[in-house]
Amino acid sequence: MPLDSVEILLVTALLLCALQAVRATRLLTAAIWLGAASAMLSLWLYTLGAHIIAVIELSVGAGLVTVLMVFVIGICGPDARGKHGLVPTWLAWGLVISASALLAALVLPLTGTPVPFIQTSFASVLWEQRALDILLQMILIFAGVIGVLGLLSDRNIPPVIAAFHDQEESVVPTTVEVANAPSSVESPRAWTETPEGKVRV
Amino acid sequence: MNLTPMHLIVGGVVGLGAIGVYGLLVMRNLLKLVIALQILGKAAVLALVAAGANSQQINLGQSIALTVIVADTIVAVIGLALAVQVQRHFGALDVRALATLKG
Amino acid sequence: MTSVLVLGAIGLPWLGALSVWLVGDARPRWQNFLAVGFSVAAGIAALALLLWSADAIVLTIPLGGVFGDFTFTPDGLGVFLAVVATVIGSLAVIYSVDYMRGEAQLGRYYALILLFIGAMAGLVLTSSLLLLFLFWELVAFCSYALISFHNDDPKAVAGGIKALIMTQIGGAGLLAGILLAYAYLGSYAFDALLTRAYTLPPIVLAIMAFGFLIAAAAKSAQVPFHTWLPDAMEAPTPVSALIHAATMVNAGVYVLARFYLAFAMVPNWATTVMLVGVASALLGAVMAVVTNDFKRVLAYSTISQLGYMVTAVGVGAIFASQFHLLSHAVFKALLFLGAGAVILATGTRDMNQMGGLSKMMPFVRNVFLLGAMALVGLPILNGFWSKELVLEACATCGQDWVYLGLLATVGITALYTFRMVWLVFFGKPRAARAGRDAPPVMRVALGALAIGTLTTWLLAGPFACLLGGSALSAQTAFLETAQVCRQVTGASSTGLALGVTALGFAAWWGRERLSGLTARLQWLERVTAQDFGFEWLNARIVSGTRRAAHALRATQTGELNWNMVGIVGGLVLVLAFVVWMR
Repeated sequence: MPLDSVEILLVTALLLCALQAVRATRLLTAAIWLGAASAMLSLWLYTLGAHIIAVIELSVGAGLVTVLMVFVIGICGPDARGKHGLVPTWLAWGLVISASALLAALVLPLTGTPVPFIQTSFASVLWEQRALDILLQMILIFAGVIGVLGLLSDRNIPPVIAAFHDQEESVVPTTVEVANAPSSVESPRAWTETPEGKVRV
Repeated sequence: MNLTPMHLIVGGVVGLGAIGVYGLLVMRNLLKLVIALQILGKAAVLALVAAGANSQQINLGQSIALTVIVADTIVAVIGLALAVQVQRHFGALDVRALATLKG
Repeated sequence: MTSVLVLGAIGLPWLGALSVWLVGDARPRWQNFLAVGFSVAAGIAALALLLWSADAIVLTIPLGGVFGDFTFTPDGLGVFLAVVATVIGSLAVIYSVDYMRGEAQLGRYYALILLFIGAMAGLVLTSSLLLLFLFWELVAFCSYALISFHNDDPKAVAGGIKALIMTQIGGAGLLAGILLAYAYLGSYAFDALLTRAYTLPPIVLAIMAFGFLIAAAAKSAQVPFHTWLPDAMEAPTPVSALIHAATMVNAGVYVLARFYLAFAMVPNWATTVMLVGVASALLGAVMAVVTNDFKRVLAYSTISQLGYMVTAVGVGAIFASQFHLLSHAVFKALLFLGAGAVILATGTRDMNQMGGLSKMMPFVRNVFLLGAMALVGLPILNGFWSKELVLEACATCGQDWVYLGLLATVGITALYTFRMVWLVFFGKPRAARAGRDAPPVMRVALGALAIGTLTTWLLAGPFACLLGGSALSAQTAFLETAQVCRQVTGASSTGLALGVTALGFAAWWGRERLSGLTARLQWLERVTAQDFGFEWLNARIVSGTRRAAHALRATQTGELNWNMVGIVGGLVLVLAFVVWMR
């Protein structure tokens, strides 16, 4: 099948939006970029033929999640301090690139066997073949709702003082804890031989 | 090598996965971590739908992708609620504040 | 019928363990009754198996998939060891009725001993490598739990942990060998390994052979893994008699004997086995000469006698090694139980504080003398016949250092045995407390074992027939007891051994006149006090491991990003492996 320029555009736009969402310094901007990425993805899914999932992805990803994030950012504050990461950048880049390269090498000789077309409707597949999945989703949603209700309840939990606010970050933890490790087990010299003076009777 | 749409899809999935994992490795803010998880979820959805389209069973791919979207959304919701609680409890959204399991 | 008996020998003790635990500690008389009843029933089941033993698989529990089938084959070697485990186990339980009278947590004690007896019977009756390993680990756990039975005593706990760690290191060797066997042969059955060992690549077979040897050496307290056995003497004495003299430490010798045919062709393996055996025999004997703790002398003596058995396996004399195993189990259990009676009466384990007990404890003195004479190898007793068989096999094996080493050990054995008996029973009375003779229930166990010491050698003929059925080496050439006796009395090595024994006796008897020699050997005493450097080695290994663990704490940062580094790094490694394998 010849390559459509629309698809190339969509791929580039999707990857760009995702990259910006991760790299943006302000949280609000990042949320907006995430919404844009959702929109690009939903368009692409539509071109692939998955019409229903495209709509769901648009409404959930670009709608629900973006609104939630904006809401939470509003509660938590922008927190725009640009701190450098804990993991060194070269390590992160190295791991990511090697993982992607290996994955591509694993997948790429794309040979597939042709499969005959099965004429079914989405509703029949969803509600009959994947009925167990639907049950699972219901349980997940239920559990999620209860979890959120429990998390956001108004119990009075005393706040823990976070003592790291103005610390200058270092990657390796301090050595104080390591040196203070208590040795609660008897030293090996307790195993030497001594004739037992008294014995348990 | 001529580029087929399948190559584009593989590139998209691997690229999105790489961006999501990079975000998880480098970002310190809890909300940024939720965003990175969302991007990983998008990679999964794309892969599933593309597999379905490629094997002429688009509806099966859509059904499974639906489960993934629902689960992903619930993870995001609970993650955000956790972030709110962390903010109340520790005073900031930094990952360093949650390192009480150190050592 | 046979499968029912097999299940009985393994399952009856386990039922007993459950019932003793359920009855509770408030009714100790019920606990005693149940424990003795179930262990005796298991002994009867194992004895009945002697009549019904078969070389084929009698019981299969199919588990499917990667676990294979759990099979049981009661062939001669397995049944004989099952009889030893259950019969001596029931005698030890009978002895415990009096020894542990008034102890707290009796339910835990009996349950663990019964669990152990069932697991040991299962270990020797199974013919699946995976099930062998499972029972091996179960036996190691019971040993640890019983050594640390008095868990408010730090020495007991330390001894238990030391025993557990050292035997588990050996267990790793066994597991490596078993997994290699499964990977290359596709089955866990003993037959597969024994018949198709030659199809394995030589390096794989060598790794398996030495892995099994490490496991056997660790379990049977051979050099260099012998340091746990003397410290395990913190256990109650019936436990020492059962587990650390008669049964569990024999598991290593059993594994070597069972798989000798598969590994005999591995270059240097047989030589290493012989080296380990002779070194343990000599080292154990020398350590026993200088020790003052009554039970530790017996522990070192066990190490030394196990060295005899291991050497015999290395030489290829499987019948001699198993016959000595039978004799040793009986007389060593007798010695330990007798020692327990003495310790109970005098309240101390230090031999320098005993003495002159022969007037006050005549029954114990008599049975102990019988056991001691069997240990030394005096004629008519079972130790004589089996030890002479081992020595003769080593004399004809072609490697002189093996024979000389064991011969020297015979003399040193006589020396330390005589010293032990003299210090405890004869000489001036030094005991702080007057000793009572053994209580009646204990006398039952002691008497039964004494009779065994006098008579088990008569079973040499039927025993050889029993072993001849199993797939062992071709040295089971005897068919009746009289043949064994003729062979032993006619061999020249017998006279030599008796002469060296006399030398050993004379050395103790004339120790004042030898004081010049002993003064010049003071350096030896200092070296043996340090256990020839093995304790230092243990301490170095332990401290090195703890330093490494402290250093590795830096990787536990508790931060999500570093956890992700671990996850993605692992993913990269797995992907790299998969891509490389394609």
